[in-house]
Amino acid sequence: MDEQQKYARLFNDIDSQTLITLGMVLLSTIVLIIVSQRGLNWLATRLHGQVRFRIFALVPLTRLLILITALAIIVPIVIEPSLRNMVTLLGALGLAIGFAMKDYVSSLIAGVVSAIELPYRPGDWVNIEGTYGEVKHVGLRTVDIQTPDDDLVAVPHLKLWDHAVYNANNGGTSLQCVASFYLHPEHEAGWVRKALRDVALTSAYLKFDKPVIVVAEEKPWGTHYRIRAYPVDPRQQFLFITDLTVRGKTVLNAAGVQSAMLPPDAALDARNAAESSY
Amino acid sequence: MGESSSSADTPLWAVVELDHFRTPEQTQASQWRRSLRSASTWLVGKNSAEQQVKEENELRALPEVKLAHIVPPIDWAPAAKALAQQLNGLEAPVAFFITPPHCGHVSVVRQWAELQHFTCLPPPTLSELTEGGAQWVERFANQREWAVTALERYFLRHTQGIQGVREFLERALSGRLGQGVIGCNSWTYAYLQEVIGIEGAPVFTLQSMEGEQLSHYFAKIAAYEGQSPLVYSTRTGKPVLAESATQSNDKAPNNDKTPNKELQRLAAHCRGHIGLAWHYWRERLREPTSDDEEALWLVDALAEAELSTDTGDIATLVLHALLIHGGLDDHSLGQVLPFSHHEALNARLALQRKGIVSSNDGRWQITPLSYASVRQLLESRNYLVDPL
Repeated sequence: MDEQQKYARLFNDIDSQTLITLGMVLLSTIVLIIVSQRGLNWLATRLHGQVRFRIFALVPLTRLLILITALAIIVPIVIEPSLRNMVTLLGALGLAIGFAMKDYVSSLIAGVVSAIELPYRPGDWVNIEGTYGEVKHVGLRTVDIQTPDDDLVAVPHLKLWDHAVYNANNGGTSLQCVASFYLHPEHEAGWVRKALRDVALTSAYLKFDKPVIVVAEEKPWGTHYRIRAYPVDPRQQFLFITDLTVRGKTVLNAAGVQSAMLPPDAALDARNAAESSY
Repeated sequence: MGESSSSADTPLWAVVELDHFRTPEQTQASQWRRSLRSASTWLVGKNSAEQQVKEENELRALPEVKLAHIVPPIDWAPAAKALAQQLNGLEAPVAFFITPPHCGHVSVVRQWAELQHFTCLPPPTLSELTEGGAQWVERFANQREWAVTALERYFLRHTQGIQGVREFLERALSGRLGQGVIGCNSWTYAYLQEVIGIEGAPVFTLQSMEGEQLSHYFAKIAAYEGQSPLVYSTRTGKPVLAESATQSNDKAPNNDKTPNKELQRLAAHCRGHIGLAWHYWRERLREPTSDDEEALWLVDALAEAELSTDTGDIATLVLHALLIHGGLDDHSLGQVLPFSHHEALNARLALQRKGIVSSNDGRWQITPLSYASVRQLLESRNYLVDPL
């Protein structure tokens, strides 16, 4: 009997009026979240430059604020918010989470952390455990990444705790691109360097307030050149790399500079190196 | 560049160093207004015009003959004289004179060269540019006093197309070509400065004009027997021209203390560039349909062909290429863009249909009335923009 009274004191009396209030709060929360998420995403996808990334960053933050507000309204309605009651409730929740829903809740908490620390925002180009692509949506439990092959990959926020997150543009418009050229050892390196720099400087996609660097690296099979430069918009990165590659090849071919003939294992190494440099 | 210009006492045709160029008052406000208009058009469709004192259907366009008298072509001779004063005694082997498109650098430098008896150098042919050689530069080796009226005709934005201009500028800046003045589109200047590096050479431009100066200028060119026509704004119903157009000197009137809001708006919209403002003035003047009224009306001066905020990447790249080259023909446009000729052609046709680009001597250019919105769009998308 005493136990029953103890639990009765933990929860407030739930009458029909309370149920209606709770329903209204939940409904409003869901509607507000949907409207704010869709509205902000809709607006941001139609904008360009820094404003786009600022609005994208608001998406998870707005949802978090709405959820906290909803919780702050709901909890005092359901529970008598005394210290004893809170300790009891949190203890029970802790047990349930510890046994049954550890990873799920860990992802939710990591989602909250991601909304505050911003390791990735919608519009960022990230690499998490080998999945590279544009962040399309930062949800409560997962982050949705659209790969260049148009696959949508849902990565749990949980990865934040123990995996590196490579963010190529970090909420900004500057994203470095690398175009590689593998050349036969016999060529005029100084000329090639200048020619590749001109290729970058004459690209329609080039962002001029960032440096253009041509890196040369001598290998047993020849010379590996990389053009490191930035496109005007991160979304143009593949078009930019293609433009650099196509025009670079044209210039080098016209000058009679031959490509290196890589042995199969070296070709594989070069491919891995190029992929890791994104 | 700084935000506001100082006073209405400055001469109409002031040639200043690039660092001293100042945009007119309210330029920032004008940009915000344009963004707001663009956003509202995007959200709720084409918005209705502002409240008008005079409805546009009560007005008609002026006949060409009348327009030619009221808005004759700009005489750039005063600007050429102002440039000559600035260049007088200058030690540097080469000086640049830059203006945005439609703002007269070609005419000013040509007239300056005629005044000074300097030779105007012919631009290289398209094939010389695409071959990438610098042979055409050799033709200028014997010139000791020369002028280039439009440097934008001396290069193409691809690996071959910049080799010749690089060689030319290296020789010119080092003094090996003697003394010269280079007229240049401000966008070309911004691009070549990044690609080739032309720091150190003195750069001049026309100082921006405020609304009062525009009012004085338009009144002066329209004056007949000392009387300038009455022109009212359809937006406010107030006269827009300075009362006195009879002053013989080239000073803006400083006795008229009432600010001319309509032309100040126009000045801010055009970033103070007289060439652009002249086009707006010419395009927006109307006369009443009834013959018993003589006054002219200026319809909403800023309702230009606007670019929507969702303009695609291809269109944006076409616009940027056209600005950097000061206009291009279809063949050359295909050579400087990273997509096929037919894609470039389609994008150009779409822009032409919207009135954003038009043909001038076979070259496609941004129309004067679209320039402000195109510049703002490119700036908002982080493209390289001109310093003016």
